Amino acid sequence: MSSAEILKPKSMVRPKHWSEEVENAYRFQLAGYRDVTEYKAIHNVEDCERWPDSGFVKKLKRKEDGYFYYYNRTRECQDKDINKTKMYSY
Amino acid sequence: MHCAAKKRVVKSEDAFTIKTWQSHGNIELEGPKSAGSLTTRPTKPTNFRKFYERGDFPIALEHDTKGNKIAWKVEIEKLDYHHYLPLFYDGLCETVHPYEFFARQGVHDMHEHGGSKILPVIPQLIIPIKNALNTRNRQVVCTTLKILQNLVCSADMIGEALVPYYRQILPMLNLFKNNNLNSGDGIDYSQQKRENIGDLIQETLEHFERQGGEDAFINIKYMVPTYESCMLN
Repeated sequence: MSSAEILKPKSMVRPKHWSEEVENAYRFQLAGYRDVTEYKAIHNVEDCERWPDSGFVKKLKRKEDGYFYYYNRTRECQDKDINKTKMYSY
Repeated sequence: MHCAAKKRVVKSEDAFTIKTWQSHGNIELEGPKSAGSLTTRPTKPTNFRKFYERGDFPIALEHDTKGNKIAWKVEIEKLDYHHYLPLFYDGLCETVHPYEFFARQGVHDMHEHGGSKILPVIPQLIIPIKNALNTRNRQVVCTTLKILQNLVCSADMIGEALVPYYRQILPMLNLFKNNNLNSGDGIDYSQQKRENIGDLIQETLEHFERQGGEDAFINIKYMVPTYESCMLN
């Protein structure tokens, strides 16, 4: 938990177009995390489970209650959700 | 003067009744009544609804799920598929929220992450699939067809495993196969929304043929005589 507090993002941008990074950020934010950095720090894991072909996030533990979210192997972030996603940089 | 033609009252009656027999042809016969083969059948409350209301499913019962997702309390890989998958399939008959959503999404998630655990459960899925198709409810039939397409592609050998059960599943597909809207030049919006039953049935049968091995086509043809192979032609 401590490392997550240390790693604070310096800036945030709202994406205009869909990309693989946006898709993964969308998936993390749906589960309550900022991005993969926070997920790794909180759960103390190397990486989350990903789909082998696309590299999209497959399964996440929700931040608030520890329940599981399962994601599709194909794109889930629709056009209307793109500008709601936040891309953090450190 | 009395011979002025009386206005003949023509009554219409059902065919093959005593009245029509006694009338000696002075009665107009009505056509046969609709058999109602495509009308929606009433459904009984499902086991899925009972289990859901009792909180027996390992899912978070929140109605405002973000992004149309189910939050699973237990990892899907650890679930007993013999118990839960038939129950979720049972919920396919549901048409009201939240039961309909949780059943559909639950089946989808279990397909996506089931792998080899789905195949042994196939025999238990046939009765819920048959019940769902037998409701003849457009919404239920559409959902079930999409789920069948998803099922045959979810793991190896599932298409082959379904072949012996075509006799249970396909009669309803045969019934609705020509259920297409003839709108001439007009736009059929159900095509865009993937709600056109005729098209969905054609797609489903093609999936069955592709995934079902060498015996699939002849078995489909036996139950749906108007189906033409998508692989031989």
